[in-house]
Amino acid sequence: MANETDNSNDKELVGLLAQFDDPTSLLAACNNAREAGYKKMDAFTPFPVHGIDPALGIKRSFLPFIVLAVALGAVCVGLGMQFYTNGGEIGGVSTDQSPIFPGYQFLISGKPHFSLPANIPVTFEVIVLSSAFATFFGMWIINKLPRLSNPLHRVSRFKRVTNDKFFLMLEAKDEKFDKSDSEAELNQWGAVAIEEVNQDLTDTKLPAWMAPMALIGALLLLIPPVAIFSAYGATNTKPRLHVVPDMDWQHKFKTQVLSPNVSDPDTPEYLFANRRAMRQPVEGSVRFGSLETDSEMFRGIKKDFANASMTVGMKKSMLASTGPQDEEENLDQWITGFPEGFEVNETTLARGKERFNIYCSVCHGYAGNGDGLVNQRAVALAANGQATWTAAKSLHDAVVKDASKNPTGRIYDTITNGRNNMGPYKDQIPVADRWAIVAYVKALQETGITPVGADAAAEAEAATEAEAPELEAAEEEKEE
Amino acid sequence: MATTVDPKQLDNTLDDPADRSPLVLGGLNYEGVTDTACGVWDAERPPMIWWVLLLIALSLLGLLGACVNHLLMSGTGVWGNNNPVYWGWPIVNFVFWVGIGHAGTLISAILFLFRQNWRTSINRAAEAMTIFAVVCAGLFPGVHIGRVWVFYWLFPIPTEHLAMWPNFRSPLLWDVFAVSTYATVSLLFWYMGMVPDIATFRDRTRSKIGKFIYGILSLGWTGSSRAWHHYEIAYTILAALATPLVLSVHTIVSFDFAVSQLPGWHTTIFPPYFVAGAIFSGFAMVVTLLVPARKLCGLENLITIRHLENMNKIIMATGLMVGMAYGIEFFMAWYSGVEFEQFALSNRAFGNYWWAYWIMVSCNVLAPQVFWIKWCRTTPWFMVIVCIFVNIGMWFERFVITITSLSRDFVPSSWAYFHPTWVDISMLVGSFGLFFTLFLMFCRFLPVIAMAEVKSIMPMEDGH
Repeated sequence: MANETDNSNDKELVGLLAQFDDPTSLLAACNNAREAGYKKMDAFTPFPVHGIDPALGIKRSFLPFIVLAVALGAVCVGLGMQFYTNGGEIGGVSTDQSPIFPGYQFLISGKPHFSLPANIPVTFEVIVLSSAFATFFGMWIINKLPRLSNPLHRVSRFKRVTNDKFFLMLEAKDEKFDKSDSEAELNQWGAVAIEEVNQDLTDTKLPAWMAPMALIGALLLLIPPVAIFSAYGATNTKPRLHVVPDMDWQHKFKTQVLSPNVSDPDTPEYLFANRRAMRQPVEGSVRFGSLETDSEMFRGIKKDFANASMTVGMKKSMLASTGPQDEEENLDQWITGFPEGFEVNETTLARGKERFNIYCSVCHGYAGNGDGLVNQRAVALAANGQATWTAAKSLHDAVVKDASKNPTGRIYDTITNGRNNMGPYKDQIPVADRWAIVAYVKALQETGITPVGADAAAEAEAATEAEAPELEAAEEEKEE
Repeated sequence: MATTVDPKQLDNTLDDPADRSPLVLGGLNYEGVTDTACGVWDAERPPMIWWVLLLIALSLLGLLGACVNHLLMSGTGVWGNNNPVYWGWPIVNFVFWVGIGHAGTLISAILFLFRQNWRTSINRAAEAMTIFAVVCAGLFPGVHIGRVWVFYWLFPIPTEHLAMWPNFRSPLLWDVFAVSTYATVSLLFWYMGMVPDIATFRDRTRSKIGKFIYGILSLGWTGSSRAWHHYEIAYTILAALATPLVLSVHTIVSFDFAVSQLPGWHTTIFPPYFVAGAIFSGFAMVVTLLVPARKLCGLENLITIRHLENMNKIIMATGLMVGMAYGIEFFMAWYSGVEFEQFALSNRAFGNYWWAYWIMVSCNVLAPQVFWIKWCRTTPWFMVIVCIFVNIGMWFERFVITITSLSRDFVPSSWAYFHPTWVDISMLVGSFGLFFTLFLMFCRFLPVIAMAEVKSIMPMEDGH
């Protein structure tokens, strides 16, 4: 027996450590020890030796159940976190009403604040992360590791346990343990060498300097979190720290703001004369792709008149009702057919019908006789004095229908810029669609549908004779 | 030990159905495995080539540091990202690196669950590579957020100053959770697997500092059978957790694209396509690293030609999957009947970026086909060349997906050609510096081979 550790009175025997050179003889020794009645023993190997668990009587690990419990908890935590922070609702009460750290509801395309499919990925990751932590830390805790001092490491021979040797230790705490008997048994089972493992009792005490140092260290570690939390809750009179100043104060002005005073307060001076922070386009600038030189196509005006005058419908202000139209209209300027590049055929007529039904029929009616629902309701309200309204014209009205008074160019212009009470539609309807509507209007007029009952037609005719400015004057009086 | 020379000891790529080919050559016993695996670490000083490589890696790392500093001081305008390509190289590099980071966990976890014993020699290095690749990957979205000093807004931390929480329905937030979970779990898995081998270092080292550091890191491991029992169960659980995790990570990365509505991104094939590509690129990177590393560390008897051949077979298989995904993308564009999708895909192959697309196809689909020939998949220098092509191809795959779709979006007036700046290029090059610095440090200071695991798959010494 080779004992490399010296014996003194300060030592206590922990057990006997027997060395074996291969896993097979270790397994045999383990089996022998168990059959001989040893309970407190352990084998030490460089790698997990299969079959050693039953030989030593090791019960199956309960680690999986710990992990399962943590994983189930993580489902609740993961879902609960997302539910709370994104302002989920139960019974009409949302977490965004919480007095502290309220949830925050993101309004995105009207989607629900909490919906399982969108919340599964994060829940899954939370489960995996928690389970991995449970597995990792659970395993070390069950194994009572980390253990920084172990009498086994005092046996120099034991260093080869992580290389190529196999060890069996019979613990002194075992009832059957007897130093000389056990040693004989181990020899009998084929141990290559046997060592006593001694616990050095003086060793088990911590050095005197360690405890106060650990305390001081722990206190020092508390300083950063305390400093952060106190700074977090405190009110500071100094401006906050700006890590990168030119990102916090960017040298720019937003597009629609007033220019700040760039000079001293008494003699103000601004970036531009009109006090905008942004330059306006040079007069006559044309947006890319918007040159629109073809006056027939884009304005419904013959090329000869392209530079002569503005259209009558081009208003001084947005709505006709807010101001009189002071320009003389030249009826000759309007084109009477359709511009080059627009073809009247079945497709464009169908398109025109569709657009007409969407945009025009609300006032002018599907048949064009001025009985759209908006018009009906507004006329009824106007009759009670509850609103002011210029009745929408019937497209079958004699004047409207008259190609000399209302050539196609003028109808196009009406759609584009509005007329009387009617607002402009140039922002809603693209050019080609406007011409399609014109084509459809002409088709409607050609079919000559008249309202049911001649009286209604007569009334409509009478209504068209009433001039818009008069109604507008009446309207202004009512407003006062 | 065998007294007659077994032909499989000379060439362990031979397949004999009656007998398993040895995975450890040179007649090594347990001690021989330990001595071989600790070779570089045991040496008084590392070989000259290590210093040379470290110097190169450190200078590239310095370049990366300078670029990150420049970026933080000046803002993200130093990159080429601009309308309409707001996701430029940073996201390309992120997906590239995070994809490479998939091989390690795949080798450790999935091959472990499938009881593929040949994984034992390569899993440690592959896991280390995973972690270093994820570090490189995390860097790019980290600095891409612009104001790095408020990075914690990414996480659900209660704050009265912001008075907001993250939007949990956003794929970008899923990404934060997926990548950080992946990095953490990979680190736990890697470290846990390494503890018995660090204990070997603890017991071998002669320096006092080494004893202290490895003593702390090995947590007092003794190789007790009770500890091994719980350890093996824990390892299996971690493998079972890491397997769906590794698939989920690149799935979620692909959601960054697939959940948007951009033609060429909005497609259901992305998750499997990205995962196959990730395994493909990761294995290629493992081969690229391990062939020089086994030479450098003298590990030819542990990382044998058979290991490399197996990896090349996986590279070829995943390369074919990726190739099929490229084809299916065109089918889906045609079959969907959506003209925007059809335009996006034809623009990829024949538009402004045709050169990137065809680099991708030739590197990813054509190059690995040489592995059908046995000589190609068993000749180290040749497989490294092929794998470098695969790495280039996979970088271009992410480039093609990100850049071509963004540069040709729905509105033709905003179409533009993407130009990277010198910062973009330097950061990509610099990230390799970070990666190789970490890997070289790992080769010198930590156990490159999972010694305990290799020993456990060796036939028992007494002839059983």
